[in-house]
Amino acid sequence: MAQKGPLRQTKFFIPFAYVNGIDFFADANDMTSGLKRIDRGLGYILLAPTVAVLLALTIYPLLYSIRVSLQSETGNWTLQNFTRLLSDHFFLTALVHTILYAAIALTLEFLIGLGLALLLNSQMRGRAIFRSILLVPMMLPAVVVGVVWRLMLNSDFGAVNGTLKIFGWRTESLTWTAAPKLALASVILADVWQWTPFMFLIMLAGLQAIPQEPYEAALIDGASTWQTFRHVTLPLLKPAILIALLLRTMDLLRVFDHIFILTEGGPGFATETVSLYIYRTAFRFSNFGYAAAMSFVLLGITNVISVGYIRFLRTNETG
Amino acid sequence: MYRANMRWAPYQIVMAALLVVSALLLINCQPKGAGKTLTLAINSGVEGDALREAAQDYEQQTGVHIQIAEFPYANLFEKELLDLSSHTGAYDLIMLDDPWFPKFASLNVLTDFGPLLQKRGQDKPDDDFIATSIALCRNPYQTGALYALPYVGNSQLFFYRRDLFQKHNLPEPTTWDNVLTAAKTIHEQEPAGAATGAGMYGYVMRAAQGNAAVADFMPIFWAFGGEMFDAAGQPDVNSPEGIAALKFMIELGKYAPPGYASFNADEVGAHLLQGTAAMSINWPAWISSFNDPSKSKVVGKMEFGQMPAAKNPGRAEIGNWLIAIPREAKRPDAAMDFLIWATSAAQMKLSAQRGNPPTRASVFNDPELQAKFPSYPAQLKSLESSRPRPRTPLWNEIENAFGIYLSKANSGELSPEDAMNQANAEIKKIIAR
Repeated sequence: MAQKGPLRQTKFFIPFAYVNGIDFFADANDMTSGLKRIDRGLGYILLAPTVAVLLALTIYPLLYSIRVSLQSETGNWTLQNFTRLLSDHFFLTALVHTILYAAIALTLEFLIGLGLALLLNSQMRGRAIFRSILLVPMMLPAVVVGVVWRLMLNSDFGAVNGTLKIFGWRTESLTWTAAPKLALASVILADVWQWTPFMFLIMLAGLQAIPQEPYEAALIDGASTWQTFRHVTLPLLKPAILIALLLRTMDLLRVFDHIFILTEGGPGFATETVSLYIYRTAFRFSNFGYAAAMSFVLLGITNVISVGYIRFLRTNETG
Repeated sequence: MYRANMRWAPYQIVMAALLVVSALLLINCQPKGAGKTLTLAINSGVEGDALREAAQDYEQQTGVHIQIAEFPYANLFEKELLDLSSHTGAYDLIMLDDPWFPKFASLNVLTDFGPLLQKRGQDKPDDDFIATSIALCRNPYQTGALYALPYVGNSQLFFYRRDLFQKHNLPEPTTWDNVLTAAKTIHEQEPAGAATGAGMYGYVMRAAQGNAAVADFMPIFWAFGGEMFDAAGQPDVNSPEGIAALKFMIELGKYAPPGYASFNADEVGAHLLQGTAAMSINWPAWISSFNDPSKSKVVGKMEFGQMPAAKNPGRAEIGNWLIAIPREAKRPDAAMDFLIWATSAAQMKLSAQRGNPPTRASVFNDPELQAKFPSYPAQLKSLESSRPRPRTPLWNEIENAFGIYLSKANSGELSPEDAMNQANAEIKKIIAR
């Protein structure tokens, strides 16, 4: 494997690359070559339960949903579920909302997360406390976050408007989740609040894995702070950045829970995302075929973006 | 060295034993004495609670064991639909909200009560049931075969603050014009009643997309002469009457708390209980809270009346809980026995005492109950003149689309004309599919 060497380097940067299975079996291969063939048989037997569970709970439902998406409600084979997507402006609007939501939230979470990681990577007093506090939002269930923000953003008695009022703002027109233009911003705000710590955590792990030597070299060469950041920190942090962006992008594209609690897609259709629309179609309108078709489109989009990230990660490491 | 794989290793024996034990546990999950068991799918809430308690009484009296499967409202529909359409026969009785009924009936997954009643010497349910409630249980509506019996008889009421109407010398809210005048007067003249100092809102409503906006709009829509479908069954929400009704709703919204376009039942209830809004369309389940000083700042001040009129007399939306027997039920006869018992006048009185409005006139007129629930005469009157949501199996989808456009119009995103035109086009698409 050509990428074996460079890829293995990533392992000490971030634990996730290791778990991601890119080079997971490198050591196992060395081990198995030393075992007898008969023990492979035992290996398959031991793996069998896992494979059976996987087949029953993942592969079968996946194949079944492909079948459902290609059938009309009366059971005939058809492509109408997919052609309907193109003329369904509810779906197309939801798709635009989803992409907007993911792009804005990802950018904010990345920039703030990186900034916080840089700040707390330096030798400052009480950084252990700050780090622990920063991780709290990530540990809360999304439903709890939804309810908390719903209360905080309440226009009459919420904490946000209450605070603004103290500073002399007129808050009557600030109805947050009820205003078509502010609603999307409100749900993004809640997401950024909850998931920036995740970005921060991976960035910090990445930063701490960077060895001291390149910095010393940069210091000797007389590099400025910005130059050090641009030409030493960023390139060495790239694998961590890409993994963090990849994981968050996949999560953001299928966002459901806290939007469902905060606005339920409203007001009107202002915060409806693809996941919410899929849920409604399947469980409220009981049209599972159309819901499955939409799910596959969302899966396709997620896949294309993810493959893009992974390609970028690989070329970067070999190049 | 690896001879161990020829023999059973200790861990393999442990695994095998675990497998056997778990298989035995699974087998043991089958109900015992299955011949005398009925399985009931209920809503987790006050309606389901009453039925569960009734089931316990029934078990003591008859020895028939009743197994309860309880689901939150949001999951009950999908759960029942999946079980019924895959013909599992898992339930002998199901509770359903009346707007779901056309969907189940159109899928032909419910038992026709005709033969079961005939076996018991009846050709129809007795006349004590409210006509508008029984009509919901027939498919087609009102005229067809009977597939359910009504258990909880909700219909909307008009909630208003009697004390404020008297204080400002306002005419009773019998027409929507009176309501608008009163909302304006109260909003402008009533001093800051709210904790936030924002003043008193004349009217409060739910305009969040979906069920909420539609339920709070329909009584206005009907009173103004709007109809969702014309005589030919084509959507007609963008008629001049329909657009006038939506304009009126938005006009009323000027005297409602800001952000009402995202309100659900909780927000409306909170405003009324805190005494920060004077009028609203609401459901009977809220009535008891208004007399509870720990929840309400307006004890004894709220009046529960009939829907205001406009061009047409005011009519409330009906929202009943029905009980049906799935087609694939394993014991339809035993299920029918229980259902007849549970919906008898005596049992319904017990259910009423547990907090559920009945569906029988005799229970509404029971003096003991009227003493406990003074709003019963108003509820009976509202129920008798109530209207159902349009009876179509596509209702969930239509309501969702209609609700989105109503909410958009109320939040100012669309003009009333655009909202109604787009809603009409969307409903047309849904029924053409």
